[in-house]
Amino acid sequence: MKLRRFMAPLVMVAMAQLCGCASNVSVRVEQTFPEVVAIPREISAALVMDQEFRNYVARPNSTTRIQIGSAQVDLLTKAFNGLFNEVKVVSSREHAGSGTDLVITPSVRETQLSTPSESYLNVYEVWIKYSLDIETADGVPIDSWFLPAYGKTPSSYLLSRTTAIEQATIVALRDAGAKLMLDFYRIPAIYGWMQQRAAAGEEP
Amino acid sequence: MRFPALPALVAAAALGGCGSTTTVDDFRPTAEPIDIGVGEKVAILGRRDAGHYETDRDFIECLGNRLDHSSFQVMSEQEFIDALYPWFEPRTAPKHLKRLKRLMQDPVIQEKIRREKIRYLVWLDGEVESHGMSGAMSCGVGPAGAGCFGYTSWDKNAMFEAIVWDLVDLTEEARIRVDSEGTSYVIGLVAPIPLLTRVESQACSGMGEQLQSYFSQEVR
Repeated sequence: MKLRRFMAPLVMVAMAQLCGCASNVSVRVEQTFPEVVAIPREISAALVMDQEFRNYVARPNSTTRIQIGSAQVDLLTKAFNGLFNEVKVVSSREHAGSGTDLVITPSVRETQLSTPSESYLNVYEVWIKYSLDIETADGVPIDSWFLPAYGKTPSSYLLSRTTAIEQATIVALRDAGAKLMLDFYRIPAIYGWMQQRAAAGEEP
Repeated sequence: MRFPALPALVAAAALGGCGSTTTVDDFRPTAEPIDIGVGEKVAILGRRDAGHYETDRDFIECLGNRLDHSSFQVMSEQEFIDALYPWFEPRTAPKHLKRLKRLMQDPVIQEKIRREKIRYLVWLDGEVESHGMSGAMSCGVGPAGAGCFGYTSWDKNAMFEAIVWDLVDLTEEARIRVDSEGTSYVIGLVAPIPLLTRVESQACSGMGEQLQSYFSQEVR
């Protein structure tokens, strides 16, 4: 009889454990990012961010959903405003118009998540792989640039899973902005396009 | 008469064993105080580029709080990296003076630093390591109650380095290294009694005092 009295709480604890381990995690990242410190170049660009990109939900594994749509729109808009003196954000390629120099369409290729239970490290890590399709206003492709970004928590000690994933994602998004600012004008195809433009006397 | 022996033992262990040894080494090219004008700020930034560790944010916060009571203003790490985004992110931050000089050639970055009145940057690097764990402790639950018995100890070592850069003259003003080591114990006498060494706090205190002594000596 004594054993039965102990059984009920034990079964309850075991069930809670099992449910807890299999639970889905949904993280909403609603961070706004600082303005970038940079002098934009005399280039006008249309940034194509469709509804799917604006509401993008990353699914790095079957149990985790990270809503990064609004955060990535804020980040990329600010970063491109630091690169070009005129940025028009549009929802489809058709709205880009012909009065711009470049049309850039970002998309998320892949997201990955590493948790302490997988890596045996005391950190959560997030990778976001972007692809930037860059073309002229006439639709001539310039490049499809791969933009990888990485973020991690300093330590997951005392952090909930949701908070840790959110923090790592914010660091990854900031890293995407940093890489974009650092490397955009170093892309060989962009460099070549700038040279051509300068030779044609289009750049003031 | 039998009881005072146990608290005395615990107190002796706490006082003797948990104490830490802190060593502060510094290098400065000159003994002159570092000039800081009224309203000028000192920013604190931790290194994040190493793959296997990050400079502990608690340590950065602790140092910021210590310096906050000085005669000069302290800019927190988050404020600093936001103000200069994205040039002090782990991917982009200059690790050496040569890179800083190149970064400061950008007039927009220079202007932002001037406008924010950030005069000095304290680059922090380091971590706390635990090693040399010994002893054994076992805890158990029985019908009569629960308890832990045994003894375990480990050594902790906090090692931090601060490099002070002048963001106007683009020079290295000082380099401070703090090592703090101590031993922590947990004694299981039914309830586990932790006697923890506070190496991080000691290192923070040592570094804070040293930095304060540089800056607070002369106010322009």
